[in-house]
Amino acid sequence: MAKPVLEKEGKTVFLLGNEAIARGAIEGGIGFASAYPGTPSTEIVETLAAVAREVGFYVEWSTNEKVALEAAYGAAMSGVRSITAMKHVGVNVAADPLMSSAYTGVKGGFVIVSADDPGMWSSQNEQDNRYYGLHAFIPVFEAYNPNEAKETVRMLFEFSEKFEHPVIFRSTTRLSHSRGPVKLGKIPERKTKGAFEKKPDRWTLIPAYSRKLRRKLVEKWESIRRELEEWPFNKFYDYGSRHTIIASGLAYGYVMDALEELNLKEKVNILKINTPVPLPHGVVLKALERSEKILVVEELEPIVETEVKKLAFEKGVELEIHGKDLVPQVGELDLNKVIKAVASFMNMDYKPPEPVTNIDVEIPPRPPTFCPGCPHRATFYILKKAANKLRLKPVYSGDIGCYSLGVLPPFEEQDIIVEMGGSIGVANGLAHTIDQPLIAIIGDSTFFHAGIPGLINAVYNNAPMLVLVLDNRITAMTGHQPHPGTGLRATGEKTIMIDPEKIARAVGVEYTKTVDPYNIDEAQKVLEEALKYVVEMKKPALVVMKRACSLLIYREALRKGIENPYYRVIEDKCTACGVCYDFFGCPSIIPKPDGKAYIDPVTCTGCGVCAKVCPFNAIVPGKPASEEWNKLWF
Amino acid sequence: MVLEVRDMRTVNIVIVGVGGQGLITIGRILGNAAVLRNIGVLVSEVHGLAQRGGSVIVHARIGNPHSPLVPLGGAHALLGLELAETIRYLPYVNKNTLLIVNRRFIRPSVPKARMPPVEDTINKLRGKGLKVIDINAFDLASRAGSPVTENIVMLGGLVATNILGGMLSLDDFREAIKNTFPPRWHEVNLRALQYGYDAVKEKLGDK
Repeated sequence: MAKPVLEKEGKTVFLLGNEAIARGAIEGGIGFASAYPGTPSTEIVETLAAVAREVGFYVEWSTNEKVALEAAYGAAMSGVRSITAMKHVGVNVAADPLMSSAYTGVKGGFVIVSADDPGMWSSQNEQDNRYYGLHAFIPVFEAYNPNEAKETVRMLFEFSEKFEHPVIFRSTTRLSHSRGPVKLGKIPERKTKGAFEKKPDRWTLIPAYSRKLRRKLVEKWESIRRELEEWPFNKFYDYGSRHTIIASGLAYGYVMDALEELNLKEKVNILKINTPVPLPHGVVLKALERSEKILVVEELEPIVETEVKKLAFEKGVELEIHGKDLVPQVGELDLNKVIKAVASFMNMDYKPPEPVTNIDVEIPPRPPTFCPGCPHRATFYILKKAANKLRLKPVYSGDIGCYSLGVLPPFEEQDIIVEMGGSIGVANGLAHTIDQPLIAIIGDSTFFHAGIPGLINAVYNNAPMLVLVLDNRITAMTGHQPHPGTGLRATGEKTIMIDPEKIARAVGVEYTKTVDPYNIDEAQKVLEEALKYVVEMKKPALVVMKRACSLLIYREALRKGIENPYYRVIEDKCTACGVCYDFFGCPSIIPKPDGKAYIDPVTCTGCGVCAKVCPFNAIVPGKPASEEWNKLWF
Repeated sequence: MVLEVRDMRTVNIVIVGVGGQGLITIGRILGNAAVLRNIGVLVSEVHGLAQRGGSVIVHARIGNPHSPLVPLGGAHALLGLELAETIRYLPYVNKNTLLIVNRRFIRPSVPKARMPPVEDTINKLRGKGLKVIDINAFDLASRAGSPVTENIVMLGGLVATNILGGMLSLDDFREAIKNTFPPRWHEVNLRALQYGYDAVKEKLGDK
C-alpha cells in the first residue's frame, strides 16, 4: 500500500486539504520545506517530512515561524524551490522577514502557506491574512477544495519564479481539514542544491538599496496584477443575469450549493476569484459592466469587496454592491449563512429545514481535558498545593499549548494566555507593576519558540518570577512533532538534545532545577523552595517539570503491543467523596452508580498520581509497570 | 420499519462522538469508497482542540457537493457514536433525519458530570418523532475481535440503512476498508463492518 500522497500520476486519491497542499509542493518540485507546527497548518510539513527521503528533498521543523520563513527564504535565494507553512498567527511571528522578502524577491519559487482559522477553532484570534499580502506586496492565492489547492500550489512555484517574487497560499481550517478527491499529477525531478550569487544591491536591504527596491516593488505589483487576469482558477460564469455573485476562495463552494438549494443554478452570474490580492481589475470590470447588483461573498474581512467598490468608483460604474451588509464578518462561513445572504440579495423568502431542538435530556459540556496520566495535571495539582502551603496567591501567566487547559476548572492556574512566549514576556512587565508573586508557565516547545528572549530579559532587567517549563518532551498540542529538546529531527535523525535548564543557567538564572511531576512529594518541595526564592530574593528562578507526554507513550505502547500498567480502587476504603473524578479530573477515573470510583484499566497509564490525591488511600497499584513499559519513557 | 429512499443529489451525513472514537477514520473510509466509485465527496472534521477527549463532529457530503459543511437541519443521517454528542448535535437533524446511535454514554471528565440513562434518552429521541436505530456497537466490536472497531461497527450500521443506496454498496465499503488499513487490520475490521450491518438489518426487519 503506497502512501496516498505518493500515489501515481493520473490516480485520484482522497486527501486531506493539507496533504493536497503537500502533494502540490512535491509536484511543484520543492527542494526545501520548513515550518513550526500550528493548527490548522501542521499536516502540510508533517506529510512532507514523512516522504522527504523517499522523494529526495530537505524538510525541517524550525524553532519558530520566523526561523522557518527565513530558512525557506534563504533556500529560495539560492534558486532552490521552497515552501514554508504556518498558522495565521505564526505569520505575525514571521512578519519581519516576510516584509523584506518582497523587497529582495527570490530566485527559486517561494511559497508561504498561511493557514487561517476563521471561527477560532484552535487559535487566539481570527485575523485574515489576505491583509498580509496587501501589506507586504505579496500576491495571495486561494482554492476552494483540496484538488484545486493541490493544482494551485503546484503552479505557484513557476509563478513565483517568473516574477522572482514570494507568493502566499492562503488556506483556512475548512480547506486544510477537509478531505476530497485529488487527481494526482507528475512528480518531477527536483533541484536541492542551488548557488548564491553575491549581489549586495539585491540582497542587502540597507536604506540606499531599499529605496530603489521599493520603487521596483510597486511597479512589479501592477505587473503581477495584470498577470492574474489569466489565472485559470478565476472564472466568470455569465448566465446573462443582471445579478452577479463574486465569490472569493472557499466561498465559491458555499455559493454553488446555496444557488442549488435556492433553485437559482445558472440563473445568477458568478465571478469565482482565487486571487483576492491583488485583485485583477479586467475580469472584475467585465462582471461589473454586465450587472446591476453585485454580492461579494468572502469569509472574514471585506478585502475583495473594498477593492470592487473602489474599482466601481474609479471607473464610474453605477451599481448596487453588497457584501458585509449581508454576509457575516465574524466567524466561519457556512452554508446556512450563505443561503441566507444569497436569498436576501435576490429578494427571496427562504425557509430552512427546521432543526430538532428542545429535547428534554440534560447533558454535561465536554471541553477538551488533560489525557489520562498527563504530567501537566500532576504539575497543576502540585503547584496549587505548593502555593497554598506558602499562603501565596500568585498570578499565573500562561502560554499556548496543551497546558492552556489549566485555565479550566478544577485547576484555574492560567490567568493570562495571549500568544506564544507571552507567559514570560508579559510577566516581565507585571513583575515591575504588581506585588503578587508571578509564575510564568510555558511548554518545552514554546520555550524554544519564543520563551528564551523573555527569559534573558527577566535576568537582564531583574524581573522576579518563577518560570515553570512544562517539559513533556514533544510538541504535544499539534500532534507530537519533535523540537530542539527532543534529540530528534523532522525526518527522524538523531541530533543534540537541548536542555532548557542549561539555557537558563547560561543566561544567568541562579536558581534552576529539573524535577519529575510524577514524583509528587519531591516536586512539591522543589516548587515551594523555588517560590520562596523568588519571593525572598526577588530574582527570577526556573524549574523544569520533566516527564514525557503520556498520550505519546500510550500510543507507542499500543503500536509495540506493550501492555499498560494500571491502578485500582479498594472498594471498602472508597467513600465516594469524588475528589479523584470531580476535582482531580482524570478521564480514566469514572464514578459508579453508587458514587464510588472505578479506574478504567484500558486507558489508565499507571502514573499513580491519583493514589496520592485520594484522601482515604483507597487507590493502589493494580498491575505494575513492565520493564518494556518503563523503557518507553524518556 | 420501512425507510424512504429519497431522490437526492447530495447525501449529508454527520458523524458525532468523542475524540479518540475513530470518527475521522469513518470519514476517510466513506471518502475512499466514494472515490472508488467516482462519486463526488467532501468530508470535513470539526474538532478544535478536541483531540483531548473533546466533542467531535465530522461532516460527510456524498454525491455532488461543492462545500464541505452540512447545514443546520440538513443531515439525512446522523451517526452517533456516543449519546451525549448525539443530543448535542441535534440541531443538524430535522424530522426526516435517520439516526443510527450507539447505546453508550462516555462521561466527560468535568466536575460533577452525571449522565442520563441510556434507555430513557433513546425513548426521548423517539418521543420527538425521530427515526432512531440503536445498536450496542461496543459489544459488537468486542465480539468482532477488538473494541477499537466500534467505529467500523457503526459504519456497517450506516451502510445497512441504504441511505447511500444507489451510490455505494457494502462491497464498496469492504474495498475501502482494505484501502484504508494495513493488511493485518483487514480481517477484524471487515468483521466489525459485517456485524454492524447485520445488527441494523435485523432492527429494520430485513433479516
